[in-house]
Amino acid sequence: MMLEHVLVLSAYLFSIGIYGMIMSRNMDIALMCLELILNAVNMNFKYFLNFVMAITLAEAAIGLTIVSSIYHNRKSTCINQSNLLNK
Amino acid sequence: MDLPGPIHDFLLVFLGSVLILGGMGVVLFTNPIYSAFSLGLVLVCISLFYILLNSYFVVVAQLLIYVGAINVLIVFAVMFMNGSEYYKDLNLWTIGDVVTLPVCTSIFVLLMIIITDTSWYGIIWTTRSNQIIEQDLISNSQQIGIHLSTYFFLPFEFI
Repeated sequence: MMLEHVLVLSAYLFSIGIYGMIMSRNMDIALMCLELILNAVNMNFKYFLNFVMAITLAEAAIGLTIVSSIYHNRKSTCINQSNLLNK
Repeated sequence: MDLPGPIHDFLLVFLGSVLILGGMGVVLFTNPIYSAFSLGLVLVCISLFYILLNSYFVVVAQLLIYVGAINVLIVFAVMFMNGSEYYKDLNLWTIGDVVTLPVCTSIFVLLMIIITDTSWYGIIWTTRSNQIIEQDLISNSQQIGIHLSTYFFLPFEFI
């Protein structure tokens, strides 16, 4: 298990991130768990390769612009109330 | 692996334990500012892990971009939100919460079994030998470019 500690930790962060995204009542915590998931996958890539960062950076930038536009439109962060497409 | 043995082990154990606690802290804090700072701690720990993997440029890049830009944006986004909403949190365990906990632990256990059962040395040796063979067929100017972008990246970026 000596060289595989990085893989085990990235798997742990990935599963914690999935659990947090499903469990969180607050939208900020869900966004932060998404960042956790992306970083865990990134760590897994970097164990095998030396320089892989472009995709996750683009993903983080896009995610942040989406979240900032959501915050701009609506004033609350309850996930239960986001059923505007239902009507 | 270039670092001496005890430093390597100590850094691994220390960073691993801080990562585990910080990961649980992101999910379990109800106050979103606490979980934002815990996320910052996790990102710093991940960037220090890359020292162990001998990719030194990525350490600085991860610190600058993730902690310096993205985490700051997250903290700003948290601060813009109304603070009175998480006092309405009733802390009830719904049926969805009861289902996800065994599902997530089973995902983690499955990943652990996969990691401990695959022979990584065989896979890395076969893929890296392809890379080594292909590098002999590259011309000289391309090799200069490769060296500029891998070995001498840091002075290249400073200039």
